[in-house]
Amino acid sequence: MAQQSTKHFGRSIVIALASVSFVSITAAQTFKRPAPTAADWAAVAKLPDFTGVWEVPLGGEGHSLVVQPGAAKQNPRKASSSHFSPASFPTQQPVPLTPAWAAKVKDLKAHAAEDNPQANCLPNGMPAIMGMPYPYEFLVTPGQVTIIGEAYRMVRHIYTDGRPLPKDPDPTFWGTSVGHWEGKTLVAESVGFVPQTHIAPNVPHSDQMKIIERFRLVDPNTMSVETTVIDPVALTHPYTTTRILKRHRDWTIDEYICEQNNRNSVTNSGKAEVDTIPPPPSGPDPNFK
Amino acid sequence: MKQMKANLKQAALFLILLAALMVTAGTATAHHGFADYDMTRHETVVGKVRAFQWTNPHTWLWLDVPDGKGGVTLYAFEGMSPNYLGRRGWTRHSLKPGDKITVTFFPFKDSKKKGGTLANAKKQDGEVLNNFVPANAR
Repeated sequence: MAQQSTKHFGRSIVIALASVSFVSITAAQTFKRPAPTAADWAAVAKLPDFTGVWEVPLGGEGHSLVVQPGAAKQNPRKASSSHFSPASFPTQQPVPLTPAWAAKVKDLKAHAAEDNPQANCLPNGMPAIMGMPYPYEFLVTPGQVTIIGEAYRMVRHIYTDGRPLPKDPDPTFWGTSVGHWEGKTLVAESVGFVPQTHIAPNVPHSDQMKIIERFRLVDPNTMSVETTVIDPVALTHPYTTTRILKRHRDWTIDEYICEQNNRNSVTNSGKAEVDTIPPPPSGPDPNFK
Repeated sequence: MKQMKANLKQAALFLILLAALMVTAGTATAHHGFADYDMTRHETVVGKVRAFQWTNPHTWLWLDVPDGKGGVTLYAFEGMSPNYLGRRGWTRHSLKPGDKITVTFFPFKDSKKKGGTLANAKKQDGEVLNNFVPANAR
């Protein structure tokens, strides 16, 4: 009996020691946020109002989808209210690739698949997921800004509670984000992305990619999101684009289950395919009535 | 006819826009590219709705089109998602089995496949349902 207790005790020590080292390794992941106080909630009310549903304006306001940082700063209202014409499209800055990366991109483009992995319902990650023709909802709570993207059911947690960025995060599609407020601008820093996420189509990133986003209201229902991609391996200097979001107070976020009825696919060899077989006239397909 | 042309022009502009977006950092098409479709030309057919699937990631419409020999040929059309179309005037009841409609579309490149990407569907009461619509034109 006594022997058994000693054995248990010994095992407990081993577990305790293991736990201690685990804590020190994953300190960033186990950051403990104190319970919010009334003062914390009051502080949220003083922040710029990001709440609600936003969408990148498409079509008629198309050229405001991506504007150069300078143009956005000079006159964001004008950029988002004038009519679309192909000629008014801003000239896009080329992605500033390092020579080694340019060669890699050239090779990738030469062997590019006919479609993206999104055809198989794999989400595109950061930064592309923030430029979808689907809306985003912003939730601002003490110590956190949460962005829900309708497409691919994206959820990004931007921790504004003072925790550091993790040193060695597991790679994910949305990355791991922390943020802070610089006056009325939310500055988010994100790291840790899976290889499938691209800086631009067919432009992969290295494991050193970091994304800095600056979110701010440029008028009561217009948000500017300046996105800077830093990647010392892939890029010669940071690559910045600015996107405009418009708030829709009468919108809600809807369900988007890509696997519900996906008839598109891209094969491992890169061939795009479409399944046009009609649904059965009766049976389990709930969409066919 | 003039309206139809305007709608197609709008759809074409939208596609130019999407293409332009695809070369910019961090912006993407919703779900897939247009590798399977010939986006440079369009066709129009008249037929009866067999099925309309109001599903993600795309809506799908099947149309029985008279083949001129007493039978029908089945066409399949891919549309934007319920999320997208639902904010632009469509509902899951917009097209019902048996509805006689005129469909304009960008055809499959594979000539063995009948149908393509929807541009618009015109109902008998004159209502035109556009697949690519700017949000501010709702």
